[in-house]
Amino acid sequence: MLGKRLRFETMHATEFVDITDRLRAEVRQAGMRMGRLHLQSLHTTLGLAVNENEPLLLRDFEGLLNRLAPANAGYEHDDFARRFDIAVDEPINGHAHCRQLLLTGFATLLVEDGELVLGRWQSVFAVELDGPRHRELALQLDGQFSLPLQGGGSGRGAVKSDLVELELSRQLLVDPEPVSTPMRRLVEAGGKRLRPKLVQLAAGIGPRSEPLRAAALAAAVELLHNATLIHDDYVDESTHRRGRPTVAAAEGPERAIAVGDYYFAKATRLIAEIGNRDVTSTIAEALEAICASQIDDVALRGTYPGDHDSYLQVVRGKTAALFAAACASGALLSEASPEIVEALRRYGDLVGVAFQMADDLVDFSPSSGKPVGLDIRQRVLSLPLIYAAEDRTVGPEVRRLLAGALGDDEVGRVAELVTSSDALQRVRREAQALVDAAVHELETVELDGLRPTLISLAHSAVDRIS
Amino acid sequence: MSVQLIDRELDRLESLWEDGLSEMYRTYLEAVGSHEPASQPKLALAAALVEIGVQLQGLGGRAAAPPTLLMGDLCLARSSRLLADVASQSVQVAFAQAIEQMSAAAASCADAPAARELLLDALKAS
Repeated sequence: MLGKRLRFETMHATEFVDITDRLRAEVRQAGMRMGRLHLQSLHTTLGLAVNENEPLLLRDFEGLLNRLAPANAGYEHDDFARRFDIAVDEPINGHAHCRQLLLTGFATLLVEDGELVLGRWQSVFAVELDGPRHRELALQLDGQFSLPLQGGGSGRGAVKSDLVELELSRQLLVDPEPVSTPMRRLVEAGGKRLRPKLVQLAAGIGPRSEPLRAAALAAAVELLHNATLIHDDYVDESTHRRGRPTVAAAEGPERAIAVGDYYFAKATRLIAEIGNRDVTSTIAEALEAICASQIDDVALRGTYPGDHDSYLQVVRGKTAALFAAACASGALLSEASPEIVEALRRYGDLVGVAFQMADDLVDFSPSSGKPVGLDIRQRVLSLPLIYAAEDRTVGPEVRRLLAGALGDDEVGRVAELVTSSDALQRVRREAQALVDAAVHELETVELDGLRPTLISLAHSAVDRIS
Repeated sequence: MSVQLIDRELDRLESLWEDGLSEMYRTYLEAVGSHEPASQPKLALAAALVEIGVQLQGLGGRAAAPPTLLMGDLCLARSSRLLADVASQSVQVAFAQAIEQMSAAAASCADAPAARELLLDALKAS
């Protein structure tokens, strides 16, 4: 369990301070995977609330508080003549105490898969009722942490994730505003940073370990990944990613294409500037595989029941290629032996496929914090849908529904059928077997003490399904 | 570039060859004379793929439909891999900067410099 204080200044008598991003950052920084975040106001005139951050609605809330507990309504608390031990600067604030009674002084938020579980429109507010003041919230994080992966550790397996975050910030700082603002929004919204972690870990294996070069490569790989996501979101017509509107939804497809292209180019430039030809080729080949598989992915949509081999071929390009390249390029940067580079490449490939399978399962998990049924709506050939479509009991109905118009009812019914079959269980078992195979790859080479961290990372890639 | 090599490098992009890519390729081939003879075809193809790629995507204009965008993405990715195969670091960097310049202009709704001009300059980088 970790505990700390969240401090901030308020500017107005009544103010809704949105602390969602700060809480997300705390979870990320702590490397928390699963558990609860407890929040407690340390003041009697500061409340907490979870609601929508819409300016007019916040004015409604303020109006409601004013009506229920108006200022200067003759509060006994404000009758100093009848009170003892009054501070010299005691404010007249009976109304603020009464308003706090209408809110709450503490809150518990769930954390899953390293992210706060919040609905699309939910934000967390500290509600100032007697400002402006200096305020403090107590915060406790209770749950499972991927400790070896968080920044600031000093052991052999510690990844200096702070260096990557700094490098990302530094790179975004120098970019033109029309491209950097949407990318910053995406980067700051979180994400698991698995690929940069793999780069950094692998870059510590060989004889030439240079943390700054590794962080530069890791940040470039993360930018490249995000650039592909920006285009994918347009292709998939996704409205939200990491709880925020996608670039295409917020700023239109033209801007999304430009931002994706800019960071595709910038990332390849940063990688070229590192000056290691093998690293450049490794990432370039992965990028080519991603783009080719993305075409296949779209072309195969709706072709149920599909088949396992086509699925694997798409996923190995679309997702696993960058995982494998992250591992291999990090190892190449550190001048690790060819045996180690290839073992890590195979490890990354297996972890990447397992990660995609876990991602497929999230589409059927209402507790994931992500919208359920997106793959169904887009008729993606995901593994749970392939298995359900070929199932003797539910298969005919699943195929019939997926072949027709898909409204909310149909999507819900498909999800119900998939869940009632053993499709999810099969995918879960398969993903776990891939993680085991990835761990097995690590046994064939000497990894200078990094094996436990790589094993932990492999498990964290699928921990959403455990 | 031998026919087999072209075939391999145009995998999935064959339809573009008759659709303007061959012409672009020939234009850039005339501009790569100062590079190693063995690397000239791949460099010229890399430049042609960037030019046709951003065109397909609709960069700086109306956004392409998703399948066309993905073809454009593949063109850029293929170009990047070709450069990784044969280009010097300075040419790789110059190509990336050319795309950065075009996409930053597109994001700002500003007039972008012509792709061909930028790419011809990139091929001269040393």
